[in-house]
Amino acid sequence: MAAAQNAEPPRASQSRDRVPAPAAVAPRSVDADWILHRLTQGAASATPFVELRVSAMLKRPLLLSGEYRRPDADTLVREVRTPYVETTTIRGGEATIAREGRSPRTFSLSRVPELAVLQGSFGALLAGDRKALENVYAVEADGVPADWTLTLVPREPRTAARIAAIVLRGRDGELRCIETRPKQGEPQPTLLGSAATAAVGLDSLEAAQRLCHDVPR
Amino acid sequence: MSGRRRLRDALLQRPGLRLTLAVAWLLALLALGAIAASQLQFSGDLRRFLPDARTPEQRLLMEELGDGPGSRLLMLAISGDAPEALAARSRDLHAALAGDPRFTLVANGGEAGLDAFPEDLLAYRYLLTPSFDDAPLDAGVLRDALDARLQDLGSPAAGLVEPLIPSDPTLEVLTLAEAWQPAGAPQRLHDVWFDKAGEQALLLVETRAAGFDPTGQLDAVGTIRDTFAQQAGGSGAVLEVVGPGAFSVDIGGRTQAEAQRIGMVDTIGLILLLLVAYRSWKMPLLGVLPLASAGIAGLTAVALLFPGGVHGITIAFGFTLIGVVQDYPIHFFSHQRAGLSPWKNVRGLWPALSTGVIATCIAYATFLFSGVDGLRQLAVFTITALGIAALTTRYLLPGLVDPSPPDLAASLRLQRLWHRIEALPRPKWSLAVLAVAAGAAIAFSPGAFWQNDLSKLTPVDPDSMQRDTELRAELGAPDVRYVLVAQADDSDAVLGATAALRPALDALVAAGRLDGYDMAARYLPDAATQRARQGALPDTPALRAMLAEALAGSPFNDDAFEPFVEDVARARAAAPLTRATLDGSPLATAVSGLLLEREGSSTALVSLSGLDDPADVAALAAQAAAPGIDVRLLDMKDASESLVIEYRGRVLAAMAVALVLLVVTVWIALRQPRRVWRVLLPTLLTLVVVVAVLRLAGVELTLFHLVALILAAGLGLDYALFFEHAGDDRDDQIRTLHAVLVCSLMTLLVFSLLALSSIPVLRAIGSTVALGVVCNFVLSLLVARRRAAITAARAEPEPVP
Repeated sequence: MAAAQNAEPPRASQSRDRVPAPAAVAPRSVDADWILHRLTQGAASATPFVELRVSAMLKRPLLLSGEYRRPDADTLVREVRTPYVETTTIRGGEATIAREGRSPRTFSLSRVPELAVLQGSFGALLAGDRKALENVYAVEADGVPADWTLTLVPREPRTAARIAAIVLRGRDGELRCIETRPKQGEPQPTLLGSAATAAVGLDSLEAAQRLCHDVPR
Repeated sequence: MSGRRRLRDALLQRPGLRLTLAVAWLLALLALGAIAASQLQFSGDLRRFLPDARTPEQRLLMEELGDGPGSRLLMLAISGDAPEALAARSRDLHAALAGDPRFTLVANGGEAGLDAFPEDLLAYRYLLTPSFDDAPLDAGVLRDALDARLQDLGSPAAGLVEPLIPSDPTLEVLTLAEAWQPAGAPQRLHDVWFDKAGEQALLLVETRAAGFDPTGQLDAVGTIRDTFAQQAGGSGAVLEVVGPGAFSVDIGGRTQAEAQRIGMVDTIGLILLLLVAYRSWKMPLLGVLPLASAGIAGLTAVALLFPGGVHGITIAFGFTLIGVVQDYPIHFFSHQRAGLSPWKNVRGLWPALSTGVIATCIAYATFLFSGVDGLRQLAVFTITALGIAALTTRYLLPGLVDPSPPDLAASLRLQRLWHRIEALPRPKWSLAVLAVAAGAAIAFSPGAFWQNDLSKLTPVDPDSMQRDTELRAELGAPDVRYVLVAQADDSDAVLGATAALRPALDALVAAGRLDGYDMAARYLPDAATQRARQGALPDTPALRAMLAEALAGSPFNDDAFEPFVEDVARARAAAPLTRATLDGSPLATAVSGLLLEREGSSTALVSLSGLDDPADVAALAAQAAAPGIDVRLLDMKDASESLVIEYRGRVLAAMAVALVLLVVTVWIALRQPRRVWRVLLPTLLTLVVVVAVLRLAGVELTLFHLVALILAAGLGLDYALFFEHAGDDRDDQIRTLHAVLVCSLMTLLVFSLLALSSIPVLRAIGSTVALGVVCNFVLSLLVARRRAAITAARAEPEPVP
């Protein structure tokens, strides 16, 4: 918070929220409020994504691309476009998966913590609601404005049993990647925004993680 | 002989000894009562109070079901806290109840899921699943499945499904887990069932105890409530238990509480009445001895003769019926006076008393041949009790009473009352008019004569009924009234027959005419179906070829599905799954309530929920019946009502025989037709008048009214016998008037309090007996006494104080 006191933009007087200094001031470190504020400002209602899935069953990693959308504050849509078409709509504690040629399936998020996590983190992040976020996760911020991470550790025991942490990485107001770290198995990165655009032809987990970690200067 | 005389003299001269003996007797009775209460085996099984089944429906109801699958269900709703907290309560309660042998099913929606699939049954999944019945497993099916699994791997939930895929690429485990979900299960929040509004966590519990068994239901409901109270502690969460079992427990409790309250008031009233009537504090003590002895003797006799346990209803009806013995000591007390030895007094009353007791006992003896266990118990209880009460009054009580109380015949107030009664006109033809009018009222009164629906006597309050309907709809719980039943020699036949109904039932569900159904074949297909599925599975080389074809060009590794090949081979070789193989798995409980196996016969039940028109399913059943397989729609309400009708038929037959025997006994005792007529007319006329009044009041008669009428008749007979017995002597008439007045006031007090009860059973008994007492008293007074005595009395002047 100390860094934020260097500059008081006029907007701060309208809000109790301490608004951190713009990037130009180049603070040495960031905190969660700073990140959340940036994200809400820059939040697009849709962002492209690329995901890479690795499994012992598969000859090569599965590369998915598509779009995350937030048509309204309560809804998150994950639309896969390649290599197949699938739309997952998460709303009100339920997820509905619609696949080509099949009737949509709906199930409770409580059965699939991974989806609940996605909804919770995206939702709270994009709404900039730190309180809501902290209800569900232990939140820790790290890095500088040009390369920050926000680590979310689930508080709910059942979710925590499956998911060790969700690490968000970004640059300024852009969320570039969400990395879900399961308790067992490899971290599954989801590249977003410009990172997703840059991910064409991605072929290995390492490459994806590189894209996720390395912020283009 | 001289020893007995000496004892009598000693008792006559020593009031202290008399009182000591009376107190000792009472204490002995209290001790015996305490032993009886702790030793007696009470049975709550209502079936022992019903006649043997005759029709197939009755037999099903009585022997197989004990009650429908819907009647053993309790629906639980937890509310009053945040949803997360409610879900935690639901999980805790489920964990605590699931292992309890008193419950055959405890479901909160939480247990179903991939991890819940019983490990032992994994190998059987290809015999259980209907997935490949229409389209056999081939390369095309596999390829489709692989495409879907790839998408599963690409979803955020990949971690959940990934471990299953190598051995189960078509995810049959998931298909079966979903198929086994209760039909029309409610929504799940926080992993447990919730109502539509998301405010109440819902659970479904099936008791092992039948709905017929109030003791078992009380135990089950009590366990649930206690467990919840313990777990919920001080949190705001509230548990609501509804369902037939919970209602019967609730009503049983209310009835008991009300009966106890009424009993308290009665006891105080009786003591006061006896104090006022005899102006002696000893009388209430002595008066209660024959009744208490009678009750304990009756219980002992039933316990000895019926090792299966004394039925709760025997106790309730029995103590109602032996209320008449309270009158015996009263007659004795009212006639006791200075100068008359108590022994001589009781000998003088004995002809009237014994005629009443013998006639009533013979009447009750007809119940011994009713063919109903409960009624036999009732007969043994009442006959023993009446006999003991009469004998104690005859042989023990005279030694204990004060031998020279003031003569009641000398009471001016009683004399005046007696004279006023004498001045009343004697009815003659007016009684005939009354009888004809009552008969006409019975015959022409609108409305049903009998109430066959026993549940009307123990009504559930509308709020609870509303909750039952709501929760039943939320949980998709089966209907309590209708159940589809298939019966055959062996389980395979009934499983096959019910499974064959599924397409038609599914069509009804799709058409919205039925909300859902459940049957054992959903979990356990018949052996023929399983063998057919086995036969349709590819052998290992064929499966490998299929896989190779499906995997061509797919992102999956070529050897990714070796575990699948092994599992299919195992399923091909497995012996078909039977009921016995299911034992110990969660499916066993689901099947146990729906498939009833007995020596040489099997019954499969199809529970139905939200059935719009029973005719739909009845038509299905008619079509499905085949040689050797009986399929029918069972209407539990109809079946139980037909049992009630049959039961009532037997009670009525027994009553008719009893009435004839009663008349014969009185005839033999009194010998002269005129005397017999005077004694029987008030009793018989009262029966007709009481039924007429009840009919005019719009009351539909039940078994409880019948039992009450028997009591009323017994009381009336006693009143008339004593009035008749009093003969021409004016003083004796006045003493008898006092005795009958005290008796009828006592009975009236007890039963009019019952008549004011909010519980229809108590009200039925109370109103009938109270009406009967008034009517019997008036008619006995006006009819039973000798004409000569009346004429003589009218000639006397009224005494002036």
